[in-house]
Amino acid sequence: MWEETLTMTRTVNMPDPCESDEDSCKKFFDRSIKTNREIFILYSLLDKQMCGYDIIKEIFLKFNVFLSQGTVYPILYTFEENGILHAEYSKGDMRSKKYSLTPKGKEIAEKYINEFIKSMEQITALIQR
Amino acid sequence: MMRSAVNGLERLLEVEIPRCSVILVTGAEGTLKSGMVFGMISNHIAANGEHGLYITLEQSKESHLRNMSSLGIERRDELHIFDYRDMRREWADRELDMIKMTDEVIDFYKDRYGSLTVFALDSLNALYSISEEAYLRKEMYNFFTSLRDKELTSFLILEAPPLMMPGPFHDYYRPEHFLADGTIELGMIEGKGVVKRYIQVLKMRATRHAMEKHQVTIDENGINILGPIY
Repeated sequence: MWEETLTMTRTVNMPDPCESDEDSCKKFFDRSIKTNREIFILYSLLDKQMCGYDIIKEIFLKFNVFLSQGTVYPILYTFEENGILHAEYSKGDMRSKKYSLTPKGKEIAEKYINEFIKSMEQITALIQR
Repeated sequence: MMRSAVNGLERLLEVEIPRCSVILVTGAEGTLKSGMVFGMISNHIAANGEHGLYITLEQSKESHLRNMSSLGIERRDELHIFDYRDMRREWADRELDMIKMTDEVIDFYKDRYGSLTVFALDSLNALYSISEEAYLRKEMYNFFTSLRDKELTSFLILEAPPLMMPGPFHDYYRPEHFLADGTIELGMIEGKGVVKRYIQVLKMRATRHAMEKHQVTIDENGINILGPIY
């Protein structure tokens, strides 16, 4: 599935009234993750070092959402410039730049992830009938 | 815009370049294309409090900055540099849609810095070499349109032989030339045993400009444009 996804062009649109509930739900799910991709990137790096490729793959395997390279790498570079991430090329493998959270980055990541979870819970509570 | 971004550029441009123009900067290797574009953008954003994005496909960010520093061109914090090195290494066994990706990278910086007004791509040749040729013409049309829609004044670097050169190397009918609003050529000219660098504005829509080749020099303050070369 991961392999197939790499060759697909994915777009997120408003749900089509004729589509199944499952498809419509998937679109909202996709959009929530894509809109908050910084949170999901930080979440992936909470307890391990990863390169851009690994992050995209992990998010796909866990959430079934493909974050494109053109949206993930600029975030990684900006986080690195802002001291949220530390980056280094792996010993013996200059092909991948591994990212890890700095102490400041870890604090920020935990704060943002908790705030994201809280706000999702609040939205759910407010719109639940 | 840009008229005062390089010492002496006002000798070539009688009025400012209209915002949102897409300009090709062409020339052979070693003619200061990257330096000229980087210097122009850097000075422009510093003087106007705007942000710019410079995407380099050929070099890493670090190597590009070293080159610019050796030319006496300073990088401003508001000029964001993005290179594809890590992405291309990690996804080496995949075919990436580089035009779509470039569009996404621009969107990211545009969202983050509302005052992102200037964009440069170094170079179109590198983009072509890693893109699928079959759809390139249509994709380039869409790419140029999207740059204008994003309200960016864009400089696209294209390594090419001199455009006025007759014969089989004549390259003027490539699609990017008629899609662009302007074409600036950089080159080298030999005479009396001396090689001089030049800049010539071949086309600039809605802008009165000189047609002569003007000499380009570099000193510790960066790039300078002097008078006509002949």
